[in-house]
Amino acid sequence: MLVKEVKLHDIGEGMTEAEILRFFVQVGDEVKVDQPLVEVQTDKMTAELPSPAAGTVKEILAETGDVVEVGETLLTLERVGGEEAREDKEEAFVGSADEPAGNERTKSKTNTMRIPRTKRVLAAPYTRKLARDNNVDIEQLTGTGPAGRVTDEDVMSFVSKKEASSRQVDEPADSDRKFAAAAGVAEEIPFRGRRKAIAKKMAQSVYTIPHVTHFDEADVTDLLAVKASLKGSKPEKNASAAAFFIKALQLALAEFPIFNAKLDEENEVIRLEKGVHIGLATDTEEGLIVPVLRDVERKSILDIHHEMKELTLKAKENRLAASEMTGSTFTISNVGPLGSTGATPIINYPEVALMAFHKTKKMPVVRGENDEIAIRKMMNVSMTFDHRVADGAKAVAFTNRFIEYVENPNLLLVELV
Amino acid sequence: MTTTVKTKKLSLVQAVTDGLRTMLAEHEDVVLLGQDIGKNGGVFRATEGLFEQFGEDRVIDTPLAESGMIGTSIGLAMNGFRPVVEMQFFGFIYPGFNQLVTHATRIRARTLGRYHVPMVIRAPYGAGVRAPEIHSDSMEALFTHVPGLKVVVPSNPYDAKGLLIAAIEDPDPVLFLEPMKVYRAGRAEVPETKYTVEIGKAEKLSEGEDVTVLAWGAMVPTMKKAAKNAEKALGISCDVIDVRTLYPLDKETISESVQKTGRVVIVHEAHETGGVSGEIASLINDTSFLYLRSPIARVTGFDTPVPVFSLENDYLPNEQKIERAIEKVVRF
Repeated sequence: MLVKEVKLHDIGEGMTEAEILRFFVQVGDEVKVDQPLVEVQTDKMTAELPSPAAGTVKEILAETGDVVEVGETLLTLERVGGEEAREDKEEAFVGSADEPAGNERTKSKTNTMRIPRTKRVLAAPYTRKLARDNNVDIEQLTGTGPAGRVTDEDVMSFVSKKEASSRQVDEPADSDRKFAAAAGVAEEIPFRGRRKAIAKKMAQSVYTIPHVTHFDEADVTDLLAVKASLKGSKPEKNASAAAFFIKALQLALAEFPIFNAKLDEENEVIRLEKGVHIGLATDTEEGLIVPVLRDVERKSILDIHHEMKELTLKAKENRLAASEMTGSTFTISNVGPLGSTGATPIINYPEVALMAFHKTKKMPVVRGENDEIAIRKMMNVSMTFDHRVADGAKAVAFTNRFIEYVENPNLLLVELV
Repeated sequence: MTTTVKTKKLSLVQAVTDGLRTMLAEHEDVVLLGQDIGKNGGVFRATEGLFEQFGEDRVIDTPLAESGMIGTSIGLAMNGFRPVVEMQFFGFIYPGFNQLVTHATRIRARTLGRYHVPMVIRAPYGAGVRAPEIHSDSMEALFTHVPGLKVVVPSNPYDAKGLLIAAIEDPDPVLFLEPMKVYRAGRAEVPETKYTVEIGKAEKLSEGEDVTVLAWGAMVPTMKKAAKNAEKALGISCDVIDVRTLYPLDKETISESVQKTGRVVIVHEAHETGGVSGEIASLINDTSFLYLRSPIARVTGFDTPVPVFSLENDYLPNEQKIERAIEKVVRF
């Protein structure tokens, strides 16, 4: 079934519009070729427009009295098939074939239906000035005056409503004042850009992944001693504690590849990643950003240290390339320097786990066979994992292995590639 | 320091006489011309006693020929006189229209300023005195359309004398319309000495907030009463303005008032179409469009010749019509 639009075409002398006097047909009427459909009047003549095709009137899109521009659709015909013979005539009728080529104005109007004219509310000049002075778009108001005219009162009541609603935010009513002291809005921050992207990602992660966080602590006394000795002997070879942790993680992940993986729910498969690419949760002025330290398994602790430093700097200066922010397989959050002792981090979706390193502090620790109390430098870790992919026992085992490396830097040495 | 100005109570027509006498006494070049203005003292007695006082060379009886009277005055004016020519009735001016439009108002431009025509045409005008046909015409708009001619209409004795003296002193032709309906409608204190009322200045008669009402000539007292009624009956306060000069219009006074009130009623007894009210509405459109709260209303005579006296009161704007218009623009 073909639907044909019957449009107003130029019926002579460059007319641009015509008034609809009456339709001869109604929706549902069967019409024959050349049967008069509608009577229109231009400033020069009255004319009946014949039907370009046989068919059924599907829709009538103009009304008696409407002034219709050339090219606007007057009605649509639903045609019975096999009318190819009529095609030429029809083309002529819809006004493309008999239009001079390049008549852009008419062509651009084709397919448009009754161009909406500017809405005009009634209002006295003074009222319009009043609206303008008060920044009110008078066309948006509903008039209550005679014949729907917008009155001065309409404008002013709109203004006072607007003021009232903005006051509600600025200065709450007396009864709300106590509450407002705590919850009052001092400033509105647009929820857009980086903030919104972070929010989306977090929500996606937390609503998709059943999070479990495992807490533990690591004795980093020896590791820090190694660092101290490096600092003393070869300062340029000294690396940050985090670089050590990353190496330790990479080694632990090699044994527990399930935490260096991604769950593809759709295809029902858990993909263990080949390389270890560590996402570095980094705090910047605009919010959290996660540059990726790639191929940790191929890098020395010092490489890791330098690269991490550079990535963090780039992140803070907003200079990261897109490729430097994607593809991590495991993410760390080194919040220790900021002072935290515990957290329940959210996984960097779609990874399987994330570890946070907390503040290192001196603690009395019971050690050795004689239960001696020693002062040790202790660091808490929070290890969040996707419980769909792994279970608690495995997470504990993984964390233990990580802690083992951290507590015995010598192990790191022997694992060197 | 106070100066006491000696005044006397005069009617409007007496104030005209007083103004003429003042100027005849002060300026030797002032001469009066007109039919029966001399020995007879004029049809409305506006020149009563002046012939006796100043003689036949200063107060000149002319034949019944307005074209000749105006033409002669133009010649006198161009040769150092200040003629004041009287039309017995404004409706009689049409034979002299040609002299006025083709010569009096063009001499200054035609001679590139070498000559000018300091003449005044006085004409009692308007309906409401039960005069026969043509005697009641109010065709001021024919003259406000003519460039080079000032058109002045006093509504009270004080303005009549002051405006007349200003008109006589004006270096160019002035049409001085005297509302005969209020010629003798009450007396007012008028200074005995010479003074002028500036041409081109309207007068605010009372201050109001809601609507500006404008009129001139014999319509002024009617307008004042209507405004007072509107205030009393409807609580509408009116800015009441006596326009006084129809050309040039007092743009400042009119627009200032309209910008305050946002509503306008213009009253004149002349026919509506092409009346000066249209020009005032246009002035308001130019100066105060954004201040308008309702369409400008006009209360005018009908587009018919002024009817004979049995229908005269129906033709003229009255207090009720004006009050209705005031209410309409305020309640719009």
